[in-house]
Amino acid sequence: MAIEQQQQFLQQIAPFNELDDKALRSLAQQLDVVYFPVNARFSVDSGENAFVYFVIKGHIAELADELPADLEHTQNKTWRAHYAVRSFLGEQAVLNRKLGAQHFSVQEEAILYRLPASAFAEALQRYAVLKQFFEASLVERLNAMHASAQMTASTEVMMDTVCSAPIRALVEVDGQCTLQAAAQQMVAAQSDACVVRLPEECEERLGIVTSTDLLRALASTEFDPQTAVWKLANWPLVSVHEFDYLFNALLKITRHRIDRLVVRSDNGLRGFLTQKDLMGLFANQSGLALLKIEQAGSIADFKVVAQQIDELVVNLHRKGIKTHYIAKLVNELHRKLLEKLCAMLLPEDLQDRVALLVMGSEGRSEQVLRTDQDNALIFDSVDDAEVAALQASMQRFTDALVEIGFPPCPGKIMVSNPVWCQSVEGFKNQLKTWFDRPTEEGFMHLAIFYDAQVAFGQSGYLERLRQLLFSRLHDNPMFLRHFAKSALQFDTPIGFFGGLKTDNQDGHARLDLKKGAIFPIVHGVRCLAMEAELVQTNTHWRIKALMDKGVLTEAFGIELGEALNYFNALRLESMLYAKSQGVEYAALDNSLDVQRLSHLQQDLLKQALSVVERFKKLLQRHFKLHEVM
Amino acid sequence: MARWLDDLAGVLSAWRKKRQFKRLRDPRYAFLFTGEAETDTYICFDCETTGLNPKEDRIVSLSAIKIRGNQVLTSEALNLLIPQDAAISAESIVVHRIRNADLHSAALGDEEGNVEVLPEREAIGRFLEFIGAHPLVGYYLEFDVAMVNQVVKPWLGVELPNRRIEVSELYYRQRLSELEHGLAMPNIDLKFETILQRLQIPNIGQHDAFSDALMTALIFLKLQSLVKSS
Repeated sequence: MAIEQQQQFLQQIAPFNELDDKALRSLAQQLDVVYFPVNARFSVDSGENAFVYFVIKGHIAELADELPADLEHTQNKTWRAHYAVRSFLGEQAVLNRKLGAQHFSVQEEAILYRLPASAFAEALQRYAVLKQFFEASLVERLNAMHASAQMTASTEVMMDTVCSAPIRALVEVDGQCTLQAAAQQMVAAQSDACVVRLPEECEERLGIVTSTDLLRALASTEFDPQTAVWKLANWPLVSVHEFDYLFNALLKITRHRIDRLVVRSDNGLRGFLTQKDLMGLFANQSGLALLKIEQAGSIADFKVVAQQIDELVVNLHRKGIKTHYIAKLVNELHRKLLEKLCAMLLPEDLQDRVALLVMGSEGRSEQVLRTDQDNALIFDSVDDAEVAALQASMQRFTDALVEIGFPPCPGKIMVSNPVWCQSVEGFKNQLKTWFDRPTEEGFMHLAIFYDAQVAFGQSGYLERLRQLLFSRLHDNPMFLRHFAKSALQFDTPIGFFGGLKTDNQDGHARLDLKKGAIFPIVHGVRCLAMEAELVQTNTHWRIKALMDKGVLTEAFGIELGEALNYFNALRLESMLYAKSQGVEYAALDNSLDVQRLSHLQQDLLKQALSVVERFKKLLQRHFKLHEVM
Repeated sequence: MARWLDDLAGVLSAWRKKRQFKRLRDPRYAFLFTGEAETDTYICFDCETTGLNPKEDRIVSLSAIKIRGNQVLTSEALNLLIPQDAAISAESIVVHRIRNADLHSAALGDEEGNVEVLPEREAIGRFLEFIGAHPLVGYYLEFDVAMVNQVVKPWLGVELPNRRIEVSELYYRQRLSELEHGLAMPNIDLKFETILQRLQIPNIGQHDAFSDALMTALIFLKLQSLVKSS
């Protein structure tokens, strides 16, 4: 009877959960219970205080160095680690005599189990699983250090400013100067492009001429060395500010499919940043994947590219890049892929009368792993025969995406479904139906639709529909309040006393991140964005815009964004893990195995969840949800 | 409470203890009266019984845990099971989950885990050795002490002389000092669960003598620290 609970407690803690009953019982029998009020201090060493502690309740911080004499001191102290419920501490001092003592400070009243070091050491000798864990974790610790060093190195590149990259000299010539003179200046400056001041009849002031343009001119008969250089120029200039992130420079190059950006400063132009130089800095596959998309000519090629994008995700994540940025890059690449596919499959004569929308998580640029696809096609001024041709090509489009590795949408929100392949007028009627006859499904469709972005074709079509949506919302203010309700429909998985609420599945404490954390933020922000008639789709951008408009306070907006980032990172990590265990894309779920998290991660999770809880309260007040629930 | 009342109580209990000591039949248990108590050490204990009447009902299981400083020495806990002649009533089985079968299946003198199965007098003997001259801590301790005395009195001629600390009383005083009450005395809920909840002590185990003793010990430690800090 007596030690059952101790035994059950140990059973929840890795690596002790690997021990058999007998081993657990013998450890459980040697546990004492210790109580510490808040602000108490204690130490663990290899002498008199040789114990390993397990946290039953409370919160313990490990001090980075000597026990400070008084409390005032501790406020400025840095903590080495934090320990919350079900974590253990002191094992390092016990295992490694050279380390000296470990010092702890009780942050929140704590009740601990205490195991004598001798019992711990004996168990370590006797049970291989324990020995492996604690020896391996030493290596792991080193690895973690290494990883964090690597992470800084590569994030630095990503997050470095443009001016830290090699910037090629700026050559600027007047539009009226001859091709030959321009070429001479480029050679002199060892640059392969020049900025051209355009004559007044052009709509832009500046254009660019590159060595490729010169080659083309040389090959054609229209131009001779005495031609005015502006006739060759391309515009508008795509530029990047010298203090912008390199990452954004890469995105711009990707989006505009160009080889170089003009770098500008506050005082004018500075020079060129070429794709080649940029790739040299990144030295990873993001550029490669991009080039592959450009070269791809068949579905099989796209399939290879999609796999490379996946590898890229794993790599970037491992390097510690924020999920938000990974998502941005991946979505850019995916869109590029869709664009290419559209050009391949759509009847050529109809391509300028359609718009392909990506919606839902893809529209928000928040999909990192290809868990599903939500897309639609809008067309205008198309006759019946052409509609049939479009629908046929869209069926091929969906089939192709599935083959490439985008699992089909379970709700059939795909271009192959005639409901999501309609004329502008058709969509207008559809929108009206969703408003006039609100159903759960209608709400969901509207939510997905509001997150839409154009991946190919006419952006004006979506704009027209969005305006209709806003005017409908304006006419029907009650609608949003009902629409917002679902942000509160799932409980935040955090208990009254601040602990994590988990479901126990096959012996693992699990928690649904999507329902409990991500969805309330995404949907709540979506509702606020609709009300503010924002055109942004990405949740982070919406939050930023809401902060600018004063709907969210600066401080809370930042907190909300960071919480979302953290949830997405955990979700990605958990999905990547599941994938590494052989789970298919379509079968990836959103449950998070809490036991696989370190105590620090668990703590952060709790904090982030409390932000969700606060956001829900804000929504409740803002939309007066208690009246409509 | 008035100071002089406490003093009077002290004098009375010293006198009673002296008188008790003279009646002790077995000198082997003199340590209960004369033994050295370690500083800052207490014994927390709880028993499960066949019913709620100390005159008729018997102890089924008894757990005692030593508290030293801020430590609850569960690894050295005393856990005793006492086989019954009469069957244990159904109502009490529901409460403490010790079935008749549990007592019968465990043979006398058997030691499984850290639970000893002993006949009543031997069990209480082990308990007396365990508590020595240390103060006793419990929740509604009076009942548990009465249950032990029911064995000790006819056997040794005395009752437990140890100082008693009632956690519900400590809790009551603590709450009273927190609540700024006027003439009307506040209504303070003294249910075990309420105390645990209000003191934010996690309920670690199921309802058995050991867990109850452990939880009581934690209540005691928390209240002690509250008194120290105020």
